[in-house]
This record gives sequence, structure tokens and C-alpha cells, in this order.
Amino acid sequence: MKRASTLLVSIVIAASTLGASVQAAAAYNAHVWSNSDAFAATCLGFTDTYPKQHYSLTVSQFSKLGYSPVSGALGAGFTRSAFLGNVFYDYAVYVHSHGDNYWAASGAPNVDSAFLQDPGTGKCNTSKDMVRSSAIKTATAGTIYNIVIMSTCMLGSSSSTMPNAFQIAKTKTSAEFKFYLGYVKHTWDSSSLRFEKAFWGYMNGGAPHTRWLSEAFTYAASIGGYEAVGTEAFQANWWGNPQYDGTPLQPTLRCPTCNF
Amino acid sequence: MQLLGTRCSVKTAVGTCALAVSLLVTAGQLAAAPTQAPSSDPDPMGKLAREEMVLDAGASSTLLAQAGETGNALGFPVGVKRIGKHVRDGFEQTEYDEVTELDSKGRVSSITQFDKSGRLRSAIRLDSPPRNVLKVNSAGAIRAAQRSAQTAGLTLGTPSATDVDQATGGWTVHWDRVAGGIRVRGDETRVQVWPDGRIQSVARVEHDLAPEPGQRIDADNAKHAASDNLDRWFAGRNSGYAIQGVALEWVEPNGAFDPMLAAATSVPYRLAWVTEVKPLGDAASAMWLMTLFVDAGDGNIIGGDFVE
Repeated sequence: MKRASTLLVSIVIAASTLGASVQAAAAYNAHVWSNSDAFAATCLGFTDTYPKQHYSLTVSQFSKLGYSPVSGALGAGFTRSAFLGNVFYDYAVYVHSHGDNYWAASGAPNVDSAFLQDPGTGKCNTSKDMVRSSAIKTATAGTIYNIVIMSTCMLGSSSSTMPNAFQIAKTKTSAEFKFYLGYVKHTWDSSSLRFEKAFWGYMNGGAPHTRWLSEAFTYAASIGGYEAVGTEAFQANWWGNPQYDGTPLQPTLRCPTCNF
Repeated sequence: MQLLGTRCSVKTAVGTCALAVSLLVTAGQLAAAPTQAPSSDPDPMGKLAREEMVLDAGASSTLLAQAGETGNALGFPVGVKRIGKHVRDGFEQTEYDEVTELDSKGRVSSITQFDKSGRLRSAIRLDSPPRNVLKVNSAGAIRAAQRSAQTAGLTLGTPSATDVDQATGGWTVHWDRVAGGIRVRGDETRVQVWPDGRIQSVARVEHDLAPEPGQRIDADNAKHAASDNLDRWFAGRNSGYAIQGVALEWVEPNGAFDPMLAAATSVPYRLAWVTEVKPLGDAASAMWLMTLFVDAGDGNIIGGDFVE
């Protein structure tokens, strides 16, 4: 309803900017969101430097794959409303925050996965900061996404409902241009950063769009050097198309290096 | 106009397709206006690159043969062509030689990497594992991993851990690196085993170690050093902490607590007391677990890690 009312309010402006908007439509939007205030001095007395590292890495690598403009926020701009207000237009989405598979409003055993928005400058996270997959599902409105990366704990597990919020089935045999990446269990920041560096290093290390995202995943998973959290081994997981080169394309279009 | 087809297919309420796109883009601008990331990011993390320099056939003949032997020993598919490269990997802050095996379609089927001393760094096949096959059990996966590691020239004993790999349905078998009786945090030999018992990858992660400190503080002193910092950090906040454990390990000094050190050049690992801390109160709402690396020589905090 909010989207519908916003659209109606926009009609006059839209009509007057039709030419510019159509031109803008050629863009392949990506958003990179990283929660940093929950991990800053207000709550911890020190500033955890990983949120910025994850953010900066992804902004540059999404751009290298051809997504543009790459927007989003490190810190206070990463709000639920900003995320949900922009996600419909995205082709690629990245979130670095606390994430988990929470019980749905209907109760156990139903899951409604979520990550936490940035709490805002000078604040700490609470459960009210959850951005639930059910809300994202509504906001995405059936739209197709090329790349979704949840750099959080738990949202790559088999019980995660987050892939479905982006219309990505938990299969590794999709023929559409979709790729979802997440971590299965609790994950040290150093491990997720190492994994993502290896993933992007391989993916964007050769000639543009000659490698598949699933290959980059296999490369990153295989190089090792990941620390377990207690008895929980580091594990990443993916779903989507095994032969997708990351080109920001309309999913129904054939990509030159995809072998269908 | 690739966008029009996709986005219009889910938005049929508005008249023409072009107008719909116009509305949607405008609505997006109204709904929220997050900052557009700068194109020239001054953060070094935004400038990482992996440079691959192809070696000529003469220079790489030994390398190609070595990679072929490794691939054969691991049961990797044999391609139609091998290419030797020298890689400057800015993401991992290291350099190595790499051989890519190409299949008949020209795609890379496997990668084999050797470090500067010519030792195997990793061997990885990139094709997909079989699905719906009879899965080897843990003991079978360990046997396959040990056999493959041995044929690849690595001597290994009993693995440190064997875990189900949700991504492939197979197993990950790994051995912690131990130097002088002390574990090296993150360093390991890792073998990934497909569900059918074939090998997906063998990797060895081994960092340089700094000399041991002349004098070593004990665990209690390390705990005090960690507590001093934690008390100062959490003072006056609705947060607390509980130290869950202290263990001596070789660690990579990092910029976890210090932005000036984040993404710094790779340095040798140092001996430290790894202090595991469970945040409590407000801090626990987003931070699940943290570690402080307390230098085993001088008691300074030289890095840490977080589970957010």
C-alpha cells in the first residue's frame, strides 16, 4: 500500500521527468548495506573495523561486475525504510550485519529470517531493528535479483527464509540469472572477509564476465584458512544458477558465456 | 532497455511500460535517498586487485608438469590445455604460481597453485559435484582425504575435524597447523570431499611466524590485560562481558580494533593469548562473541575477531 501511494504521489513528477527516468532505467542498481553503529563505541567502547572493510570491498566489486549505480550505506543510513524502499529497484543486494533465523510471528517451527538494520548513531541494536524476510518478500514484489549476498550469520543455512524473499529457490540448478550467498552458522568476521575477498578476487580476477559465481564460490570455499566458532566449522552456502557469470542482465536474456 | 521487460512484468497496473519505469524510478528516489558510494573509494579495500600474468611455455614447463601430476593424483578431470600464470593476489596479499586446466570448451576445469618455494598451495576442481549419489560416511571421507593429501605430497595424521559441507553435500576434512606445540590460528590443511568420495580440493594455508618473544606472560596476566581493555571499553555503558577462555596461539596481528591497521600489509603471525569474550547487556544484542589477541610478549592487544 505504501508503494502504491508513493507511486501515485509520484505521478506528476514522473510525467515531467519521463525522459530522464527512462534513461535512468538502463542502470542496474545495486545496494550495499553495512551495520556499523551497533559495532561502534557507543555500544562496545571501541569501533569494530570489519563492517567498513566488508562494505568497501563489496562496493568496488559490484561495480567491477557492472552494477551501477552502487548505492547504500555504511552506518546510520542503513535503515529498514531505506532498505525496503530501495530493494525493489535493485539487481544486486549486499547486507553485512547480525542475522539469524528467527521464529515467525506465527510461532515455532515457522522461521522468518532477518538481519538487523543499523541502530543509528549513538544507539545499540534491539530486536526492534529486525528487517524480516517476510517484509522483504513484500517489498521485492516478485522481482528477480541477480546477486544477493547476506554477509551475516545463519542466513545461508537450509532453514533460512531469506533466499525466498528475493525469489531465489534453494536449489543449485536454477537456469535463471540468480545467485544467493550466505553463511550457514556463526561466522567470525575475519573468516567472512577472507571468504569474500577470495570470492571476488577469483570472480573479478580474470577478463570481465568469464567466470561463474559458483566457481568463485568453490574457489573461496576451497582455499581454507577459516576459523571455526567453537565447534561450528566455517561454512558458506549458495543457491541459484551454477553457470551465471554475474553480468547484470534481465534474467530471461541469454548471457554469452552461459551454457544453456 | 533490458530493464523494462523485467520490471514491467511485475508492474501491470500502470499504463505504458515506459511510464511505469519512470514512476518506479521516481518512487524509489522519493522513498529513500541513500548515499551513492563514491566511485574513487580511498579505502584500500576498494582497490584490491588480482593480477594474472601468463608465463611462456618454456618458463612454465616444470610448473605445468607438476600441476598435471597433482591433478592426476587427485583424480581431477584431464583437460585439453594447461596455462601457467604468476598471480599477484592483492586480496590475499601474496604471490603464487597457478596452473589452470582448460576443458574442451575453454573453461577452467581446475586450478593448481604453488607457493614461492614450489610447494602445493591449493588444487581445486571447479566442476559441480554429483547430486543424489550414495554418500560416503565420515570415515570414508577421512580415508579419501588422507590418501589424496599424501599423493599430493602432504604428510598428515589424524584430522582435527571432519564436517558435513552443506554446499556440496560432501565433507570437509581439516588438520590444524601446529608449530612447536602451539596452534596457528586459521592455518590448516583442508581437503574437501565430494559426496561420492572424490576430491574437490586440497589446500594448505601456512603463514610465516615471527620469532617467539624472549619472555612470555602467563594466562592470568593475559586475562588481566584483556580485562583492563574491556573494563575501559564497557565502562558507563549498559554492557558487560564474561571471559570464556584463554589459549596460546599464533595469530595474525590485525586492525580489528584499530582502523589504521585494517587492511595493512600482511605481517608474520605472532604468539598471543587468544581471549574469548562473551559480550553481555546492550553489547550482546548484535555482538555474539569476540576475541582479543593479547601479545604473549608484551601484553598489548594486537588484534581480535568478532562474531556479529
